[in-house]
Amino acid sequence: MLLKLENIYKWVNQGGNRTFLLKHLDLEIDEGEFVSVMGPSGSGKSTLLNVIGLLDGFDEGDYYFQGEAVHQMRDKERARLQKEHIGFIFQAYHLIDELTVYENIETPLLYQKVKSSERKALVGDILDRFNIVGKKDLFPSQLSGGQQQLVGVARALISRPKILLADEPTGNLNSRQSREIMELFKELNREGMTIVQATHSEFNASYGTRILHLLDGSWTDTPEL
Amino acid sequence: MIRNYLKIAWRSLMRYKGYTFVKVSGLAVGVSCCLLILLFVRSEWSYDAFHTQSDRLYRAWQDEAFQDQRFINVITPLILGPTLEADIPEVEQTCRVMSLRPIVTLGANRFTEAVLMVDPSFFDLFDFPVLRGNTAAPLAGPGSLVLSESAARKYFGDAGAVGQDLEMDLGDEQRRFTVSAVVADAPQASSIQYEMLISYANAGTLMPQQARDNWFNVNTETYVLLREDATAEAASAKFPAMMRKALGEDYPEGGFDIYLQPITDIHLNNSLPAGNQPVSDPKYSYILASVGLIILLVACANFVLLSVGHSGNRAREVGVRKVLGARRRELIRQFLGEAFLVTCMAVLLGLGLALLLLRPFNNLIVRDLDFPADWGFAGFCLVLTLAVTLLSGFYPALVLSRFNPARVLKGLMAAAGGSALLRKGLVVAQFAASIALIICSVFIGQQIRYFQEKDLGYEREHLIVVPTNMGRQEGIPLAERYRTALLSHPEVANVSVDLYSFAETPWITMGFTDEQNAYQSFQYNLVDPYFVETMKLRIKEGRSFDPQVTSDRAGAAVVNEAFVRQFGLQEPIGQKLPGRFPPRIIGVLEDFNYESLHSPVTPLVLTLQPDSMMRYTENVGMAFSPQPRVTVRLKGGSLVGQVDLLKTAWASVAPDQDFEHTFLDESLAARYQAERRTGTIVKVASALAVFIAVLGLFALVTLTLARRRKEIGIRRVLGAPASSIVRLISMDYARLIGLASLIAIPLAWWFMRSWLRDFAYTIELHWWVFLLGALGALAIALLTIGVQSARTALSNPVNSLRTE
Repeated sequence: MLLKLENIYKWVNQGGNRTFLLKHLDLEIDEGEFVSVMGPSGSGKSTLLNVIGLLDGFDEGDYYFQGEAVHQMRDKERARLQKEHIGFIFQAYHLIDELTVYENIETPLLYQKVKSSERKALVGDILDRFNIVGKKDLFPSQLSGGQQQLVGVARALISRPKILLADEPTGNLNSRQSREIMELFKELNREGMTIVQATHSEFNASYGTRILHLLDGSWTDTPEL
Repeated sequence: MIRNYLKIAWRSLMRYKGYTFVKVSGLAVGVSCCLLILLFVRSEWSYDAFHTQSDRLYRAWQDEAFQDQRFINVITPLILGPTLEADIPEVEQTCRVMSLRPIVTLGANRFTEAVLMVDPSFFDLFDFPVLRGNTAAPLAGPGSLVLSESAARKYFGDAGAVGQDLEMDLGDEQRRFTVSAVVADAPQASSIQYEMLISYANAGTLMPQQARDNWFNVNTETYVLLREDATAEAASAKFPAMMRKALGEDYPEGGFDIYLQPITDIHLNNSLPAGNQPVSDPKYSYILASVGLIILLVACANFVLLSVGHSGNRAREVGVRKVLGARRRELIRQFLGEAFLVTCMAVLLGLGLALLLLRPFNNLIVRDLDFPADWGFAGFCLVLTLAVTLLSGFYPALVLSRFNPARVLKGLMAAAGGSALLRKGLVVAQFAASIALIICSVFIGQQIRYFQEKDLGYEREHLIVVPTNMGRQEGIPLAERYRTALLSHPEVANVSVDLYSFAETPWITMGFTDEQNAYQSFQYNLVDPYFVETMKLRIKEGRSFDPQVTSDRAGAAVVNEAFVRQFGLQEPIGQKLPGRFPPRIIGVLEDFNYESLHSPVTPLVLTLQPDSMMRYTENVGMAFSPQPRVTVRLKGGSLVGQVDLLKTAWASVAPDQDFEHTFLDESLAARYQAERRTGTIVKVASALAVFIAVLGLFALVTLTLARRRKEIGIRRVLGAPASSIVRLISMDYARLIGLASLIAIPLAWWFMRSWLRDFAYTIELHWWVFLLGALGALAIALLTIGVQSARTALSNPVNSLRTE
């Protein structure tokens, strides 16, 4: 088992009322799974991904990553865990505009203090694999959305994470580009990568090996359509 | 990693070019302004430090108690130097430096020159390099003369000066000197200035043996070089014993003390009287140094404001980097690096700007400063760069690195960044500094204009002073011939021949002991019967001198009101002067400011003949060489144009002597040079502070508008007119500037009040100047805001709403 959430609660207090973002949530994910989380806007998909990805905290409950109790970790350990084991992909790509494709992909390695020669090799490999060697010196603004997301995926993979978290990865893409990204995910998953994606689209969700439905911060068996 | 940081820093700077330009240029202007001002302050503070032995060089000064008064003087007896050398083991060498202003003759030309009579040790103690001639012993004999390089050029042009002869009037004799060497001109930052140097072997020509050995006759500055292992304290401890031995039974216990002053202390220590050279009020360097730092801080505040204000644009990058594993420390380092890059650019640009502006700056402050190419200066620039980096980069780095990635990436983070309190605080600080500087510069300007326009009690316009460069015996007949020649010209209103003109004050200081055994002093000038008329002085009582009344020549004195007040004279007309002075008062003049407006009018006596006064005075002090000077009052028109007339007339009475002249109003203006220099710098500094603050405000408003674009769009759609939008944005800032005024006004008032305390005659601190400063800043700010916000308000709201 890769990770396990037990009885997770997350809330915000607004004008005396407590609004639950996540409520009594359990989740287990094994290595090699491809989980699709579905649900309407505001159902808590992004929040859940942020909690899994350690970008955001939670108010109650236990979280184990590879058997380690994340909820008891100090910030520093959590940051190390995130840096080494978690890869993120965003709907809006979130590439750094001032860096080239090559430099964007290289950045996580810089923060992991990987040596220059090794960095070169790793980035070169992934550029090769994604067929974007020719674009390595371009800036994000010079790429199409699909190409940008491809760079986003490459960047998430460069540090060889245990899990890939994708929040609406195709939300800004047309259908052809979407399909390409989903095919890529499928292939990565086949190679053993654990993936959790949040999506609106039934079609995208169907690429997953497991589909979960979220409503108002809790799991639901009957997806509302 | 560093390369990556620098790369991204450079690219993000280039991406927002306008914003970068404002940031860098604001800081650069601040840096260059600060550098130039500190350059001036540094030169003030490093006076006399160029001597390699400056840490061992001291000037002796004395504190003499006489009856109930203390006389502190840096001009000392001639005998002090040799006594110090003989009696104090800590003293390695001494050098007496006596300032003379004799008339120097070369062929038919005569000039008044700044001559120093010095001991031959002069060249051992001080670093004044001998360039040509007898470099080993330049002042070997009494007939040796050392010229400064510029004096050598003035007298002998490019021809070799060494070996040439010059005549010099010393005492009652005209002596021949032979140029033995040429020495480099004294640096500007030197308390010892000279055109010519002669040996102390000539002292005998100037005063009798008795005066030279007398401890109560002060004539010379005495410089002391201590041994390397000696301290000033150890040497000073032996002075009382030395004085007791020297004076014998004349020694009043604790009544005649000698002290040592480090040579580097001379220029800025105005608690001691000035010696051969004027000293500076250290207050002015403090004022200017603070102005320089204020400008720098305003520029730094600007930098912080812009960086923090702009941080919204970097928020997403910060979020992404955090997701990719950046820790806070790494982000802080990145943004500090960026600040460092910008600061380097700004400091380099500022340096370039300062280099470019050095010449105009020198003209402005009447100095000849240069950038030192030494490690100290390089170190200063480095420290400045680091300090500005920390000062300007640390806060933005903290703010930026604090962003929560989950929120930022979701777009929840408003582009605000930084606490509103800090942003407002910085705007307030910037404008408070600007407003205070504006107010101060207006007041300083008013005070300087007041110096130039105040009724001095005489008419200062249309006066030209022509010195005779001769002793009294020769000079008076020549001056009177000149007077007659001039009066035949219809352009000339009047002419007066006097020992001193208004350009050379103080005049002669005389002193006597009154019946209560108290020491009293007053000023004295030798004038002719036309003085009162020519200067257009007003008579309070009695009459002026009358050329027809022969008894006026020897026995009459004209005094001023201050004299009457000081000595409590009832019915002064007809009374004898107090003390043993025989002349009787024939007239009282209304007080007129013959000295600078720093001090009130002091008691004054005028007579037509010197003997009746000189013979009975106990003390004589002269700051300028006594020589007949002709003051010419023209009827009007261009003074410069009429100089030729004076020159022609001069040539007719003194065909073989050069004509010299000064315009009185220029000489008077020179008295307020320190004030004018400060005024100019504060004026320019306040303009720059306003410029930087407005630059910052402009950028800040642009960012505010970007942040509130959607809000403005909604308001417009709901029917708000553009003017109400402009008002909405402007009011926020107007309030801040109002607050800044409230801080600036008392500050400016306090500063100005303490500055004005230096002057006996001052302007009033009118309330409308404070108001003007505040309103001026407000107007400039509102204009800036108005233009920017009007542009946003008038744009189509659909454009701003559609992007959501």
